[in-house]
Amino acid sequence: MGYVAIKGGGLAIKGAEDTLDYLRCEQGDSGTPLDMDTIEHQLRFLHGRVLSEGGLYHPKLAALAIKQSLGDTLEAAFALRAYRSTKPRLLETPVLDTSEMRVTRRISAAFKDIIGGQMLGATTDYALRLMRTELLDETPEAFRAIAKHWFNDERSDSDIPDTFPKVLESLRADGLLADVDKAAVEEPFDITREPLIFPVPRSAALATMARGETGSLLAIAYSNMRGYGDVHPTVAELRVGYIPVMLPHPVTGELIEAGEVLMTECEIVAMYEGDDDNAKPTFSLGYGACFGNNEVKAIAMAILDRSLQTGMKNGPTNPSEDPEFVLLHVDGIDSMGFCTHYKMPHYVTFQSDMDRLRTTQDKADAKSEGAMS
Amino acid sequence: MNINERKNWIRLLMAVNKKQIKQLAEQITSGWALRYKSLPQSGLGMLKLRDGALQEPFYLGEIPIASAWVELTLPNGDKAEGAAQVMDDDKDLAEALAVCDAVLANQLVGHDLLTVLLQQGANKLVAEQRNRKQMLKRTHVDFSLLGAEGEYDEKN
Repeated sequence: MGYVAIKGGGLAIKGAEDTLDYLRCEQGDSGTPLDMDTIEHQLRFLHGRVLSEGGLYHPKLAALAIKQSLGDTLEAAFALRAYRSTKPRLLETPVLDTSEMRVTRRISAAFKDIIGGQMLGATTDYALRLMRTELLDETPEAFRAIAKHWFNDERSDSDIPDTFPKVLESLRADGLLADVDKAAVEEPFDITREPLIFPVPRSAALATMARGETGSLLAIAYSNMRGYGDVHPTVAELRVGYIPVMLPHPVTGELIEAGEVLMTECEIVAMYEGDDDNAKPTFSLGYGACFGNNEVKAIAMAILDRSLQTGMKNGPTNPSEDPEFVLLHVDGIDSMGFCTHYKMPHYVTFQSDMDRLRTTQDKADAKSEGAMS
Repeated sequence: MNINERKNWIRLLMAVNKKQIKQLAEQITSGWALRYKSLPQSGLGMLKLRDGALQEPFYLGEIPIASAWVELTLPNGDKAEGAAQVMDDDKDLAEALAVCDAVLANQLVGHDLLTVLLQQGANKLVAEQRNRKQMLKRTHVDFSLLGAEGEYDEKN
């Protein structure tokens, strides 16, 4: 049996496209179209998720992707990823250091007293998860009053620094972490140009997880937390803020700020381990980072970074330590594409399945008839 | 932020209205010859980050980049160079910023108009910085031991 070309779905597909757009505008006269600023600010966490899973820090296009996909994070990230594939690569930044981050939130679960102090920033950590019914009929006046009140508050203080030292640096200074040699590190792996052929370096794992799907990362990290692994992390520092993107000025060569990127970063300390050569035991570490404000993703990534390091070193003993298992299953675009392709016509392959089943049934019938006679 | 330092100009100008920058760049260079030392272009850049744990570099993701490098020739024959690389996908904006960079670096006619924009940008960045610091100030945790005087005791 050969494949057959069919036609006739064109009008239906166009109709489906129109229907989706009708649903977006279904409110009619009582509705107002979402503007990009509204999505970026009032759906901040959704927006951040799409930024990171799309792998492209383009706040305006991420908002547009959310709008056109009616809030479907996977579709929105897909649109952003598709857009990036049409653009030429112009450059790569120098290696940026997150100690330069302009922090808006910074906490530690390891120490209560950290240099510079802990700042909760904007968080739902302490929310009661009760419905705020007053928002059901929020008036524009009430909405604007909140921002106005915030700006009128005179409690701001210029003695707060823009940047803060890392908690890990104090542990490193105390000899509790292994020394690092910044100069010895190779060029990072570029997952946008090279396929993942295992074994891959850690930089490939970090880049893959940085644009991985939040739920996928969380699920595999959760398996480790529950017992299919033994990372037992302590969050040394979790920070949210803006990292300045520095690029050389084409004329002077001096580094100038081309813009800034909102990101989340998590550094975890895990169980200590000693080297084989009788070196001093030190804490092991894990690292997570992503575009936007997405703490669950950053923490899950840090746990997986730690478990993958274990798997790369000693061989995996559970799924979360297996680089191939983790890295080939956390990309939202890949997994969504494979999943949804099952909706597409499989008429020929299913016809083949039916033919095989009928043949097998006929053989079974003949066998049972033979046994009875 | 010092508005006289060249390294700050792009950030300061990006903080003001982009349309205003383009209009002013066009207005200032009216009648001047403009030559591209490299064609204005827009595309992507890879953001390379050093991980905070093991200090290894990796790519966090991509960012939009627009860049331009121009040479201006004034009516008297003098030449001035300017360039810009900015996180945006508008190459016309990059060209306008490169023109601004040339005008400011060489104190050409119109630099005073741009200085006004730089100051506006500085004011906006100061306000943004104040807002961020307010987030930190208002949520700074003041730890105290249970039983010691603190928030709980004051309110109960």
